[in-house]
This record gives sequence, C-alpha cells and structure tokens, in this order.
Amino acid sequence: MKDPYEILGVARTAAPDDIRQAYRRLAKKLHPDLNPGNKESEERFKEVSGAHELLSDPDKRRRFDNGEIDASGSERRKQRFYKDFAAEAAPGHPYENRSGFADFTEANDLFAQLLRRQAEEARRAPGPDLNYRLSIEFLDAINGATKRLTLPEGGTIDVTIPPGIQEGQTLRLRGKGAPSVGEGASGDALVEISINPHRFFARHGDDIHVDLPVTLTEAVLGARVRVPTPTGPVILTVPKGSNTGAVLRLKGKGAPRPGGHGDELVKLKVMLPTEPNPELEAFLSSWAPGTGYDPRRDLLP
Amino acid sequence: MIISKLDFLLRAELDQETLDVWIKEEWLVPRGTAAELMFSEIDVARAKLIQDLRRDMGVNDEGVGVILNLVDQVHGLRKALAGLLGTRRE
Repeated sequence: MKDPYEILGVARTAAPDDIRQAYRRLAKKLHPDLNPGNKESEERFKEVSGAHELLSDPDKRRRFDNGEIDASGSERRKQRFYKDFAAEAAPGHPYENRSGFADFTEANDLFAQLLRRQAEEARRAPGPDLNYRLSIEFLDAINGATKRLTLPEGGTIDVTIPPGIQEGQTLRLRGKGAPSVGEGASGDALVEISINPHRFFARHGDDIHVDLPVTLTEAVLGARVRVPTPTGPVILTVPKGSNTGAVLRLKGKGAPRPGGHGDELVKLKVMLPTEPNPELEAFLSSWAPGTGYDPRRDLLP
Repeated sequence: MIISKLDFLLRAELDQETLDVWIKEEWLVPRGTAAELMFSEIDVARAKLIQDLRRDMGVNDEGVGVILNLVDQVHGLRKALAGLLGTRRE
C-alpha cells in the first residue's frame, strides 16, 4: 500500500488547502470520464481519490499520522463511472452525440463508407426498452388479471398479469417500448410489478396465510365455518378443542405454481365476546379446569 | 431498472432545486414526465460526473455544459471507432 501523501505528492505537513489543490490537479488529469479509454488513469484515479478521502478528513488523517489506521480500506469502492454506462448504452439514448464526426461521412473514401454503413446500422437498430412500474392488487397477483397501464407519455398498454406473479417480477411486452430512432423495430416495455398488501391475506412463497377469528364456542366444541380464500369463500371444519395459534391447511388454495397451487394456511385466533357476559362469568367462576391446565408453565418454571 | 426521483436525489447527492436547473440545462435528460420523472443508472453516473467536475475539479457551471457536450462527442466517436474496428469495449 502506497503512502497517501506520496500519491498526492504533498508533504506530511501539508495544509488542508494544499491537499485539496493537489487532489484537484490530479483529478482533472486522471478522472476516468475525462480519459475514457485509459485503464491506467482509472487505476491511478482510484488511488488518488482514496488518498484524498483519507487525508481530507481531519480525524482519519490524524489517526493515520498516529499509525492507528493504515492506508488500506481508503481505496474507493469499485465505482462504475459514467463512461462505463455510456459505452454500454443502447443506440438512441438521450446523451448520444454523433456530431463529432458528422462531416467525415460526406467524403468518398473507405472510411466514410464505413461510417455511413455504421450510421445506417444505427438507424435500423431497435428502439430502446422503456421501463414502467405497475402496482396491482393482491388478488389480481394470485388470480391473474388484465390491467391497463397509462403511459407518462400518453396512451395506454394492456398488461396481462399471469396468475401467481411475484412481487418485483418484470413483464416484457414486445414492441411496446420506444420507437427506433431510425427505421428499426420498437423496443420492449418492461413492466415491473409491485403488489399491494391485502387486508388479511399474506403471501409466503406459494402459500397464503390468513388469521381466522373464531368464537370461544367454535373453538371448544368445533364447527364448520366459512373462510375466505383468493378464489372465494370455502367451508372449513374447525376440530373440537382448537386453540389460538392452531394452523389448518386448505390444500391447493394458495398461489398458482408450476404444476399446481400452494396451500392456504389458516391460523385460528380465539375471540372472547366483546361485551362482558354474565353467564360466561358465572360459569367460569364455578368451573374447575383441573391441575394440568397451566399455559404459563414454560415461561415460569 | 427505474430509479424514482427520490432515490435519484439521494444517490446523486442532489437537492430538488439543483436537479431542476440541471434538467433545464439539459445536463440530465430523465425519462417520464415532469410530474413523474424516471431515472436510470446512467443518469446517476452522469450526475456523479457532474458532481466531480464541480466539487473536485472546480469547474464552473458554464464549463460543465461544455465538458458534457465534449464528453458525449467523445463517446460518440469511441462508439463509431469501435464499430469500425469491429471491437466492443466494456
């Protein structure tokens, strides 16, 4: 690891202003976006900005001078510079500028021919893909739907949501992107789906979880109750003596997945009557549950 | 990957007012409409370049526009040349 003072070319006693100036001088010379083809200057710029980061922070500089920290870790994280994106960007991106050689193409030599052919290819290149975001309702994500997306530029696209789509999944709509700058095909629309949470359903993988309140009577004596599922209510048998927290499984009532469906997991929640009930109170004060009934046994040994 | 305006401001270390000026100067050309701007990674990287120019290299606002225009032309030329030579560079 090289000495940061050496990298910036300043004395160990340099004032903060000298350090800043030394960095500024080197950054102007070495910044990767001003030297897009030069790997070496990129490496040196990383060293220089790492050294600057260390020495421009009075606290870090003091600790470095005292030998408490070394220069490692001061190197800037792997940063992607503008040039990296500009090099990869599809033809027709907003920052593209071909005016630097427009005059060359008018000549009648081999170079000009090549440039013209290239311009021709660029004209036939497909348009860029456009990104959109669409939030859909929970049940539409499970059951599938067709949603109309209103575009910021005006116009609409109909988006077919396949059943069982996941949060963050992206749908590609061929040819619904931006038109080509020339005569190529249009790009694609990429629609990123976000799913609004549901009031009582929650999804974990392909399974749907729901909390189902049941009355004390239903829990103690058992009952057949109606339970909501994404495809409509079904009848569920609550076994006799079901407690809060008991989970009942409705096979195949979850989200679609390849070759079938997940399950719906119904978690029971025993609810006492909301109003005080004198009869229940009278019964319970005369009721002896027996010695084995201590639900706090595990908490208070 | 779309970046919302809020995330963009955070990642580019910008405030709303500065962003408005930069868009007006056409230093940045986000997609979307004025009501809902959409940014991408190239915009973040470009904003960082502008920050570097102004903060670290002491370029003034007039200079930034000139430099960006030349940088864009350099990339145009590099692409044309890469195409001519039949090479692709990362």
